[in-house]
Amino acid sequence: MKYENRQPEEGINVSKGSPVKTFLQLVISTLLLLTVSIFVLYLSGAWLAKKIPFRYEEAIMEKIDVDFGSSGSDQDIREYLSELSARIAVHLPNPDEVSYTVHYEPEDVFNAYATIGGNIVFYKGLLKALPNENALAMVMAHEMAHVSHRDPVAGLGGGVASAIALSTVFGSSGSEYAGSFINGAGGLTAVQFTRKMENNADDAAILAVSKLYGHTVGADSLFKHIDEKRKESSKPDWFSRFSSTHPLDSDRVENIKQKTLELELPTSGDTTPLPDLW
Amino acid sequence: MLLSNLEILPGKRVEKHLGLVQGSSVRSKHAGRDFLSGIKNIFGGELTAYTELLHDSREQATQRMTEQAKSIGANAVLNIRFSTSSIAAGAAEIYVYGTAVALVDE
Amino acid sequence: MNNLLLFLGLLFCGWFFGRRAEQRHYKSIIERELEFNALPAIASRFPPTDTAYEQQLVAGSTVVSSDYFKSITAAMINIFGGEVKPFEALIDRARRESILRMKAEAKSAGADMVFNIKMETSQIAAGRTGAIEVLAYGTALIPTNVVDIASAPNVTDMNVATPA
Repeated sequence: MKYENRQPEEGINVSKGSPVKTFLQLVISTLLLLTVSIFVLYLSGAWLAKKIPFRYEEAIMEKIDVDFGSSGSDQDIREYLSELSARIAVHLPNPDEVSYTVHYEPEDVFNAYATIGGNIVFYKGLLKALPNENALAMVMAHEMAHVSHRDPVAGLGGGVASAIALSTVFGSSGSEYAGSFINGAGGLTAVQFTRKMENNADDAAILAVSKLYGHTVGADSLFKHIDEKRKESSKPDWFSRFSSTHPLDSDRVENIKQKTLELELPTSGDTTPLPDLW
Repeated sequence: MLLSNLEILPGKRVEKHLGLVQGSSVRSKHAGRDFLSGIKNIFGGELTAYTELLHDSREQATQRMTEQAKSIGANAVLNIRFSTSSIAAGAAEIYVYGTAVALVDE
Repeated sequence: MNNLLLFLGLLFCGWFFGRRAEQRHYKSIIERELEFNALPAIASRFPPTDTAYEQQLVAGSTVVSSDYFKSITAAMINIFGGEVKPFEALIDRARRESILRMKAEAKSAGADMVFNIKMETSQIAAGRTGAIEVLAYGTALIPTNVVDIASAPNVTDMNVATPA
């Protein structure tokens, strides 16, 4: 009997192929899977959240007790905004289900947003940029339409659903994100609406403005203004179109125009001036 | 290639021992299967997904061992042993090894 | 952002150092395997009976750990299923190293060959970043000369064949 140790060929038990290539393929497939599942989760979360009655939204806002800057001395501005919102509310869908509370923040921020519980916040910076009441009514009607479409709670539901999914995948950093959505005021402005939500809100808003004033003149002047400003800046057009959840402002002007034509809304009349409050 | 877990085969004689040959394969099931198996774990029963996985792995490992034996000029592998181990969460390894020999008829 | 940079840094470290360690280890394994080629390791339970041998249990073990790059790749493979290729080289290295260490022990005992080799594999650190231990063990056969046989009372007749 002979005993020897022959050396088998090298590499039989080790697969060939570049590990980096395998890694990149895996990363791409994982990201694809993640994107698709987060998208599906967002939609189902949004769909489910819309089933929550509006009074629970109000209850949530009471629980987390957010200060929208209501303690200031600008009582006349608040009263004016509330009165305007009451006039718009009757022209929006679901008047019996939802209620609106308009807040004013005396900060130089070019923004307005709607959040859960029917709370709408206007910043001084935005009000200053508006040329007439018709433009203000359009912006307000747009934010109110979000509330009446239940967009904030849908966005919150979708955000929470996808954030929870992210936290199961990525651990603590994902759950911090989920926590900010659920717990605090930090998450309120982070509620993102989809482009479709924005377009639907615009459609409802232009209709409401037309009913309120009898015409649509001046309604799109804010978006025209933003569009002009953007053209001055150097960011390429496709970039902002791709990255922004708000539809590009020239698209919105176009959309509002089309809606006006489609519903044969009157396009001539005089604009109402703004009161001299801010 | 003759594979056996016997060491002495009736009617055959080992002419030469050529040393140890081995084959291994590490595999995992996709997350969906892991999840379903986790649910099945509550009720008990055979986890067919894993049975299948280990079967395929065992075949590949055996095939790799055979390849090693072939590359050193053996015509049989005797005293074959299988072992299964868990390498990382969700990944199982099948390992098979034996003695490569040159067999002749008696 | 910082987390992402840390992640990419760890990934690169894992890939770079892991690959370097693997290449070096394989080089040394192949060299030593040639060196120990004269000392056969046989999985058979029946040692030759035509020479006088003394027996001794010899063992060699290795613990290897995965690197960050391999662990992340394996974690992603776990989502889709399939062959976990990054761990193949890892465990192949551990096994061959264990056998080499066992052979080194046998050689230092003056053995001619090692019989009835058995391998044992176990996962020793839980979690995704696994560490595995491979143990190889067997019986080393150390040739004894006639004088030694006569003076060694603990060697039984069964194991002592007539010297050629």
